[in-house]
Amino acid sequence: MGVSKDNKARITVLKLFIIGLSLLYASRLFSLQILRGAEFEARANRYAIQSVKIPAARGEIYDRTNTIPLVTNDEAFSVELVPAELPALKREQVFEGLAEILGIKVTEIHRKIPASYYHLYQRITLSSSATYQAIIKIAEQKEDFPGVYWNSRPIRRYLDNSSLSHIIGYVGEIGRDEYKLLYNKGYSADDIIGKTGIEKYYDSILKGQDGYLRTTVDVKGKNLAGEAERLEAPVPGQKLILTIDTQIQKTAEKALGNRMGSVIVLKPDTGEILAMVSYPWYNPSIFLSTNAGEEYLKLLNDPNKPLLNRAIQSSYPPASTFKTVLTTAILEEKAISPKATITCNGAMEYGSRTWNCWVHSPGHGPVNLQEALANSCDIYYWTVGRDNLGVEKIISYAGDYGYGKITGIDIPGENAGFIPTPRWKEESYRERWNPGDTMNLSIGQGYLLATPIQVANMMAMVVNDGVVYKPHFLKEIRDGDTGALIQSARPEILTDSSISTATFKTLRDDLRSVITHGSASVPVSTKAVMVAGKTGTAEIGLKDRWHSWFAAFGPYGAKPEDQIVVVTMVEASNPWEWWAPYASNLIFQSIFAGQDAETAAKAINVDLEGQHLRGRAE
Amino acid sequence: MRHIQLPKFISGLDYVILMVCLLLTGIGIASIYSAGIDSEGVRFSNEYSKQILWAVSGLAIMIAALILDISRLKDYTLFAYLVILLILIYTRFAGRVVNGARSWLGIGEYGIQPSEFAKILTILFLARYLDSSEQSSSFKRLVMSSIIIGIPVLLILSQPDFGSALVFFPILIVMLHVAGIDKRYILFILFSIVCTFLFLMLPLAGKYFFSTGNILDLFFQRPGYAIMLSGLFLIALVLSLWGWLVFKKRYYFWLSYTFSILDLSIAIAYAGHKVLKEYQIMRLMVFLNPNVDPQGAGWNILQSVTAIGSGGLIGKGFLQGTQSHARFIPQQSTDFIFSIIAEEWGFIGGLFLVGLFCFLLYRMLVVLSSTKDKYSMLVCGGIFGMFTFHFMINVGMAIGIMPITGIPLYFISYGGSSLWAAFMAIGFLLGISSRRYRM
Repeated sequence: MGVSKDNKARITVLKLFIIGLSLLYASRLFSLQILRGAEFEARANRYAIQSVKIPAARGEIYDRTNTIPLVTNDEAFSVELVPAELPALKREQVFEGLAEILGIKVTEIHRKIPASYYHLYQRITLSSSATYQAIIKIAEQKEDFPGVYWNSRPIRRYLDNSSLSHIIGYVGEIGRDEYKLLYNKGYSADDIIGKTGIEKYYDSILKGQDGYLRTTVDVKGKNLAGEAERLEAPVPGQKLILTIDTQIQKTAEKALGNRMGSVIVLKPDTGEILAMVSYPWYNPSIFLSTNAGEEYLKLLNDPNKPLLNRAIQSSYPPASTFKTVLTTAILEEKAISPKATITCNGAMEYGSRTWNCWVHSPGHGPVNLQEALANSCDIYYWTVGRDNLGVEKIISYAGDYGYGKITGIDIPGENAGFIPTPRWKEESYRERWNPGDTMNLSIGQGYLLATPIQVANMMAMVVNDGVVYKPHFLKEIRDGDTGALIQSARPEILTDSSISTATFKTLRDDLRSVITHGSASVPVSTKAVMVAGKTGTAEIGLKDRWHSWFAAFGPYGAKPEDQIVVVTMVEASNPWEWWAPYASNLIFQSIFAGQDAETAAKAINVDLEGQHLRGRAE
Repeated sequence: MRHIQLPKFISGLDYVILMVCLLLTGIGIASIYSAGIDSEGVRFSNEYSKQILWAVSGLAIMIAALILDISRLKDYTLFAYLVILLILIYTRFAGRVVNGARSWLGIGEYGIQPSEFAKILTILFLARYLDSSEQSSSFKRLVMSSIIIGIPVLLILSQPDFGSALVFFPILIVMLHVAGIDKRYILFILFSIVCTFLFLMLPLAGKYFFSTGNILDLFFQRPGYAIMLSGLFLIALVLSLWGWLVFKKRYYFWLSYTFSILDLSIAIAYAGHKVLKEYQIMRLMVFLNPNVDPQGAGWNILQSVTAIGSGGLIGKGFLQGTQSHARFIPQQSTDFIFSIIAEEWGFIGGLFLVGLFCFLLYRMLVVLSSTKDKYSMLVCGGIFGMFTFHFMINVGMAIGIMPITGIPLYFISYGGSSLWAAFMAIGFLLGISSRRYRM
């Protein structure tokens, strides 16, 4: 085929490109190797800047008064090895020596430094929590440990090893997957990183900026005498002031005692969490020990799930506390006159079964809305929920209160709970939603699930006339060195409901009547503060055992900024003692009478060890 | 078997190309051997022996490719193209992850990278399309060719293997050029690529390359501005397209042309920012000034340039490099193989290698200009584009004037797939060359 003129021109363009490219690259090589060859040669002989990381101290964590430290740092050392600087003949000997001094297994060292790493000139961390004594031992026999280096590396010290563990969390070596995700955010492969809680959520603030010591070494990696070392000082992480009140936290911890469950104390006008306890807890310091892996496995396999923060990560049927939502809906929708009565005989027939009120025959008698809430009459709410409100309205009000959605609290792993809908039931059970389901939903049973923090937000909304602030633990961020205030957390509105203030006013009165002459009049005996709230006893299919809830606020009638919300949830896995209202009673007494837990317990005549009850109470 | 014929054209073979390729392979094996030795002189890698294995089997592949008369087999190219697409899809989901990309298929220690062969099979199919569509408009050919290239590119990007995906663009450009597409369209692609890179880099350039408080950085700190500007460009494109369709005026065409380039590159750059991580974009631009990140992305470049520069005129001698040998330069045997050669053999060695490569590329163009049919010519063009790009980027990266994209230097870099692909491509090229006088 003859090459046309046009084709020839096109090929010429390509030929010129190649000629140009070869000239460009040749001249670049000429410039690098001939013109600047001496410069690069000098640099190659001398130049090899080795940089050694100086880890920054992690930010400290304090309580809300900025006086009581919760987490600080301890001096410790990391021990690192440069495999290529270790002669093959001495390898085993050095590994064994290090294993003994550092208290780790030789196999562990082999795992960290496999044969394929033997030629690497990179520092590989063998231990990040070596003691000063261990370092002294290595330093004394430096000649026997070629290629071994150490570095100051502050480690975490958890001053409170009890219930704060769920809030603060713990730290550990960055995982391979975490590192991939955080690659661009200033993390390196040997970083210590927050794994849960505040340590994880605010890791970027706590972390600080690592410093570097850059030394000039020769091609063999030896430090060159006379060459200046350049130091980039590390910047310590910022200090966090939490909203936690250590006094209240201790009280809440004691009030709950050794019962599986959780307590939340919340300031409704800001969303600040004053205390949050989830039992059982764990000791965060174990994650810093050399056998952190085993300890972690132990915690993971513990049937009581101590790693779980039950206040935000567990969801339960909210039971009668949910009648607060129903009451709101009834008042706001004017579904039935608050004065109208429904007669409770202790049981009602619906569908093919008998529905028993928690007070069996003779029942509550004729009750209006306030009396129904005060005494937690199931018959009233079943009837009104089914006949006057209907499922869609209940779902809508539950959504307004924040059920079924995470609250956005500033620690990770929150559970969203669950609001069942007719559509959901049809899709997952291939069954129609029937009025019986609406009845169950009306008393907070059935498929409905809520976390304690959602129940606390419900009470906060009642106190605030419809506004809920995002619950949070962070109060202030302060400079790690000087302690100067950098940023104060501002309350953030999570929900601003359109429900009328009149409804909330009536609701607060009705909730107060629960204490004055309703179901909680016996357990909530404190005289220190006027409490309003709602009990809840959730059936979960165990005989003689129920989840016990008490969601409350006080002082009743005070301005929102003076009030607190207390939610206590005691799981059915504990022996039944209707403990939630008693625990809340103790917390209110302690806070408002200014007493510690033991004194408060005496004042209100409660035995912290517990009590034995037979039969269900609301 | 009409299309399998060996003995007749042994005499017509382009022995110059063959010899150059064998010489390059030999240089490669020696360099890989050198890269596998640490600074104490102890060998820690036997990659070189594997490379010998790849080279011997690669020669067999080359002979097989040489025997096939591809211009008689062009009706099968669609089939081959579809098969390699299926393999790429399979690799995407079930392949092995190497260096962060799900790009390998293999058993045990050995594996292949289907993307290497996807390049060649795509060249064959695209050549077939361009050959058969001479009557169509330039615009239609451009769009169709872009689609043919685009599918494997997207699949390879999703692995994600950015470097391998990039190679398809020079292939497309050279083949369109050889096919005689209107220059405006070729320039359109070139400008779009340049603008895309520009828009990809601008936000980070503002952040790292200029003093703090520069206009560029301030601009990108307010995302609203960038969105507004993109919106304006989009409106401008719509208006000028409308003007072109209604008034058929020439300057409306050029306005549409300009704004299409801008809008298209903004869209791709935006997608790029979503898909690529910041450090990946940094790697692309850090060659402009490696000192902005001397410990991170700039490290390789600084080390490579130091190694090359310190080689001087005659080099430090075989196995005598001080900077190389895995001491300071990662990926010594693949991405940065050129730096060990230039360090140990100096300017003379470096120049020899650059000269040898450019000679090979030039020789490919000679073959291209003497082909017997358009199809063969297009295949040569594609192979030329592929080799040129690999050479330009790999060596350019080592000498610090091209972005770090991690693509191998054909025949030299360690790796079975790239060596096989190189031999296969050369096999096709030699076959075309020796059949040039026969119809």
